[in-house]
Amino acid sequence: MPSVALDSAIRHLDDARTTPELVRATQAICAQEDPAAAPTLIKVLGYNNPAVAAVATQGLIALGRAIVPTLLMSLDAQNYGARAWVVRVIAALRDPRGLELLDRALQADIAPSVRRAATRGLAELDLVGSTAPADLSRCYLALFRAARDDEWVVRYAAAYGLERRLSLTPPPEPLADRGCALLQELSEECRENVKVVRLRAQLALQRLSTG
Amino acid sequence: MEPLSEAQVIANLRQTEDVPAQYYAAWWLGKMRSRHPQAVTLLLDTLSALSQVPVDPERRGVALNAIRALGMLQDAPALSALLPLLKSSDYSVREEAARSLGLHRATEAVGPLCHLIAGGPEQAGREQPGSALLQEPCEAILEALGAIGVATPSVIETITPFTQHPRPLIRAAACRALLQITGDQRWASELEQLLLHPEPLVRRGALLDLGATGWTASLPAIEAATVESSLKLVALRGLAEQSGDSTILDVMDRLL
Repeated sequence: MPSVALDSAIRHLDDARTTPELVRATQAICAQEDPAAAPTLIKVLGYNNPAVAAVATQGLIALGRAIVPTLLMSLDAQNYGARAWVVRVIAALRDPRGLELLDRALQADIAPSVRRAATRGLAELDLVGSTAPADLSRCYLALFRAARDDEWVVRYAAAYGLERRLSLTPPPEPLADRGCALLQELSEECRENVKVVRLRAQLALQRLSTG
Repeated sequence: MEPLSEAQVIANLRQTEDVPAQYYAAWWLGKMRSRHPQAVTLLLDTLSALSQVPVDPERRGVALNAIRALGMLQDAPALSALLPLLKSSDYSVREEAARSLGLHRATEAVGPLCHLIAGGPEQAGREQPGSALLQEPCEAILEALGAIGVATPSVIETITPFTQHPRPLIRAAACRALLQITGDQRWASELEQLLLHPEPLVRRGALLDLGATGWTASLPAIEAATVESSLKLVALRGLAEQSGDSTILDVMDRLL
């Protein structure tokens, strides 16, 4: 049940019209730190207003993993703008339940900034302990795809992600070999034409060999 | 739809019936950094539309794309065709030619570029009546002078007055050029001030300008700026590619 204070904050949001009003109302809802605010904050993500969405995103991240099921269920296939922000929230929460969503965003999303955020999320998901090995493989396969993305920033994120994954949880050998081979590919001028991607891949290879 | 092959794109540029196909072909060759042996010659051929009377607006569009592509392909023989375009009566042609000559780092363009803005902010930088355009494409010209990087006193004297231009984006372009040419911290400080400007458009411009200069000392200001991460990553790419400093990569990792 939403508290009285949250109810009142949500009413203020309904009355808000201008961007500063929407930002203030959203900040007030975030300040409640009440998981019951999640559906409202998710609705705000769909307003197509970056300033307001940025506030709501931070608020959702602060609510923590308890809201992941709400986030996953809320996913409104029609509202493209909201999807991008949900990907960012899931990526920041590192909740393994977000794997499917991040993988799909990486495969299907048109915006490079969303594929970039999804790649970072895949790099950082907490896939340890009880998690099925199948999840880890799926995560690696997604990162391998990111390494071949058309956009340099997604390949950059893949270099970051492969380094992080390979140093955190060493996977079965075939996956590790493939990951290193892709890093090698991203580090070579004849196969990667963006210098900063090569620099990042070289750094990853150097850290993995000395780590 | 199947993506076009390079051979098909070249054929599309060579024919003259389907102008939209030429327009796309001219853009494509630049974007893909085509090394096709016919590419530069065919792009140069499209420039003849600019000297027709009257100028056909569609073929002018093809020519403008061709000027941009010739800048990206960086093929030296194109320079002798690009230089005279700075004297065109068409503002957009002068603007695109300036950008392309900047990409070429064409030192022979420095004199003509300086000549265009020698009148300073009050003349070259004055608004055209009833238009948002200035008399000259000052931003493109200043950026080109910075990219070419010839550091003579007369170049510096020509650029410096534009750091006082009423438009913040022109000030940013002048500071960027002076930072590239002189390496004087003072111009980086001016750009960092513009990073705090209330207008998002100005903050974005100043951010990309700092990135283009490769001025590593501005890393903390770039990281702290109120600008979307996607754009910060583009600016930091510029910084990282020029300095190779791995602390820049650490900042980029945090922004992903």
